[in-house]
Amino acid sequence: MPETPVRQIISPQSTEQVAEVLRRANEEKLVVEITGAGTKRRWGNDVAAVVQLDTTRLTGVREHSWQDLTATVAAGTPWTTMQSVLAMHGQRVALDPLWPDQATVGGVIATNDSGCLRLRYGSLRDLIIGMTVVLADGTIAKSGGKVVKNVAGYDIHKLMTGAFGTLGVIAEVTFRLHPLPKSSATWTITSNDISVLDRIRHQLADSMLSIEALQLRTRDKVFSLDVKFVTLPEALEEHARRLHAYVSPLSVEAGEESIWLSREGMFDGTRATVKVTFLPTHIASLISEIQDYGGSCVAQQSGTMIASIQPDAERIAALRQKIESAGGSLTVLRWPNDAAPRPDKWGPGGNALPLMREIKRRFDSNSILNPGRFVGGI
Amino acid sequence: MLNSTILEALRNAVDGDGKGTQSGLITATNQLQTYECDGLTNFRTLPGAVLLPRSTAQVQAIIRICAKHGIPFVARGAGTGLSGGALPAEGGIVISFARMTRILEIDIPNQRVVVEPGVINSHVTDAVAAYGYFYAPDPSSQTVCTLGGNVAENSGGAHCLKYGFTTTHVLGLEVVLPNGEVVTFGSGAPDTPGYDLTGVFVGSEGTLGVATKMTLRIVKRPEAVQVLLAAFDSTTAAAQTVSDIIAAGMLPAALEMMDRLSAQASEAAVHPNYPVSEALLLVELDGPEAEVNAQMLQVTALCQQNGAWEVRRAQTAEERALIWKGRKAAFAAMGRISPNYIVQDGVIPRTALPVVLEEITRMAAAVQLRVANVFHAGDGNLHPMVLYDQSIPGQEEIALDLSYRILYLCVDKGGSITGEHGVGKEKQQAMGYMFSEPDLETMQRVRHAFDPQNISNPDKLFPRTRFCAEKTGPYTPHPLESSGVAEFF
Ligand SMILES: Cc1cc2nc3c(=O)[nH]c(=O)nc-3n(C[C@H](O)[C@H](O)[C@H](O)COP(=O)(O)OP(=O)(O)OC[C@H]3O[C@@H](n4cnc5c(N)ncnc54)[C@H](O)[C@@H]3O)c2cc1C
Repeated sequence: MPETPVRQIISPQSTEQVAEVLRRANEEKLVVEITGAGTKRRWGNDVAAVVQLDTTRLTGVREHSWQDLTATVAAGTPWTTMQSVLAMHGQRVALDPLWPDQATVGGVIATNDSGCLRLRYGSLRDLIIGMTVVLADGTIAKSGGKVVKNVAGYDIHKLMTGAFGTLGVIAEVTFRLHPLPKSSATWTITSNDISVLDRIRHQLADSMLSIEALQLRTRDKVFSLDVKFVTLPEALEEHARRLHAYVSPLSVEAGEESIWLSREGMFDGTRATVKVTFLPTHIASLISEIQDYGGSCVAQQSGTMIASIQPDAERIAALRQKIESAGGSLTVLRWPNDAAPRPDKWGPGGNALPLMREIKRRFDSNSILNPGRFVGGI
Repeated sequence: MLNSTILEALRNAVDGDGKGTQSGLITATNQLQTYECDGLTNFRTLPGAVLLPRSTAQVQAIIRICAKHGIPFVARGAGTGLSGGALPAEGGIVISFARMTRILEIDIPNQRVVVEPGVINSHVTDAVAAYGYFYAPDPSSQTVCTLGGNVAENSGGAHCLKYGFTTTHVLGLEVVLPNGEVVTFGSGAPDTPGYDLTGVFVGSEGTLGVATKMTLRIVKRPEAVQVLLAAFDSTTAAAQTVSDIIAAGMLPAALEMMDRLSAQASEAAVHPNYPVSEALLLVELDGPEAEVNAQMLQVTALCQQNGAWEVRRAQTAEERALIWKGRKAAFAAMGRISPNYIVQDGVIPRTALPVVLEEITRMAAAVQLRVANVFHAGDGNLHPMVLYDQSIPGQEEIALDLSYRILYLCVDKGGSITGEHGVGKEKQQAMGYMFSEPDLETMQRVRHAFDPQNISNPDKLFPRTRFCAEKTGPYTPHPLESSGVAEFF
């Protein structure tokens, strides 16, 4: 499929410039597509834009109050660049998004990406404490602040998180930070029986151990359970001992750090990639289902899964229905260009869709920002 | 506003099925008076009627009537709010959740519960404790306040430093919108496609509709809990210790601080046997036993490095409870050392603590008043208490003015006008100090999308244009507090 036609690329260098661009585009009702590094540009529906607003020149860690464990960052900053600045004081934003070397902070937020660390530290909604956004009409607005505890006003930043750029351009964001763990250990247990691993998963989740991440994955008919402990060196050994007790008679191997980014491998080749959300107790049956379907997947205890499956729109629709009736959701992140028919990427959207449309209308009355990209064609 | 036809319709909405032996409609003036204020008792307005629905369908029926006739309504939980959130609009309707108190679902394997809004906070923990779980947000009013109120205020507690505020623990909501539609935000599973309306609703202080059901996260109890109390010669030294603990990479379950005045008051009230010092620091650590033991040693060392001259580790559950008792009694105890006082709720970046405290002392001295300080030091949430004597003419006004200037000082230092009590009726003007016009206008867009008629808890949260001066009030103990049910914290 050809790239969406873009007539003009504008790369503002300041929040004020973003406001100026949007104000003009809004006056002339020009459709704007907001882009960061483009790593997730195909998530959501395509946008036929006249203007591409490129955020990659809005960069820099504006402030790192390391003693307060907060940092304010410009939205176009690549995730890893930000993390390496924060690491100078032994801190980080405790989130592990996809393709962190390229992905911009703004793009990660707009798509509400998250990874394995979510289990312990929460998702972006728990880590963002303030934001500066530019609305379609050029209004520059702030919400939240620079303190971790704050209940003044509506959390506009939560509305912007995961909105796929349909409500405004994220210009700057303030995060609460966490210290980099001093010591951790990753363990992997492998089996061709998912139910055994699921039992261990449940025991770990229900334990009092200091677990940072817990994931189940499958590839080529083999299942693996990965667990990462973060605690003081004094306590790590005890953690390993207890893990061995849960796992016996199966064996445990020291895991590679790279397995925590193994979900990036789900975006390869000629297959479709979907994101599934679910209740933890459904994890094993879901994984079996994906495997029966000839797919592979990486699923988190926190209830999100990235799966690589055959690009069969009808089958995906059936799978979605099943997952939704169990309280979860399925969205299509990647679809091979030549595969037809194309699926509905988002699914039905629920009974709050009219309210979401109304919010969109209040924020972007001319519908110039990423129109059509989001759920329900918002 | 409420004519007999409307009242009849409302009665039908709650009594229609004829099941309830007690009517769900209250209109007698003496009964309505119970609902004329919340914990901010110097604001009072008599509602036109109070409704006590038993189900989402009844709530919907009530709100449909309100929407049809443009009648303002306000949801009410236990009425313990401290910013006038549940204060009714003149002649408007109060929807009380006193009859929607069921825990609908307990799902231990998925670590979540589904509750009605009238469920009392601590009842959730009671219901899951046997499985080794607890509901983490712990406002000190937790034995009386409701989850509906917690969701609306995004309530916090001492242990939110580690576990997060209410917002972190709300996975999904059923909401009746101000137009009467019932909608679902989020679910038990994460990342429901669409805008994060749950995130926006939590903390919206009842202005975006009424929550009728919530899905909450529950958390596994830690293996070990330990508490330490350290005495310092200056608040600056105590504040530095807080920063050092955080900088060392630890995240205590709670980090609380009291200055000399407030410790003195607590001592007088509940005799926790606190050392007499300029500043007391209370540190609670929890987690796997080996981890807590090692961290406790580290914290002790940091306290000593910063000049703590006494460090006590609570060895038993009783000792732990005693240390906490003094801290929890701090507010109510103030009556022991001052005839009247005003409690404020502001937030500053943790590092600004020494500067702000010095400035508060200076500001207080300039008007010859005393300010006692209690803080959730870990997250920079201050509760300054301005002490004064109402019987001295003019002193209350001076005290009020000082309490607001302290709030503005918090904003000037990069903080917030409220960390947990909310804006409500009390801090509407202060919102205008913290946020610019475009910020507020953006929030209004959300408000209007949810509630175009402006009937859901109107005239709260946003600055009013008509009034120039703001009025908070002297602290009067909440009835619950006087009766010993809850402690202000
Ligand atoms: C002694 C004492 C100690 C306190 N300690 C703390 C503390 O440590 N931390 C803290 O954060 N707060 C504290 N508070 C404040 C108060 O307890 C909290 O704000 C609490 O969440 C209010 O709950 P409630 O049920 O009393 O709500 P109410 O006071 O009845 O209502 C509060 C707000 O919630 C709205 N509301 C209620 N139910 C719903 C619903 N179902 N849907 C939508 N909106 C709804 C109301 O309209 C109102 O705006 C304390 C108060 C007292 C009196």
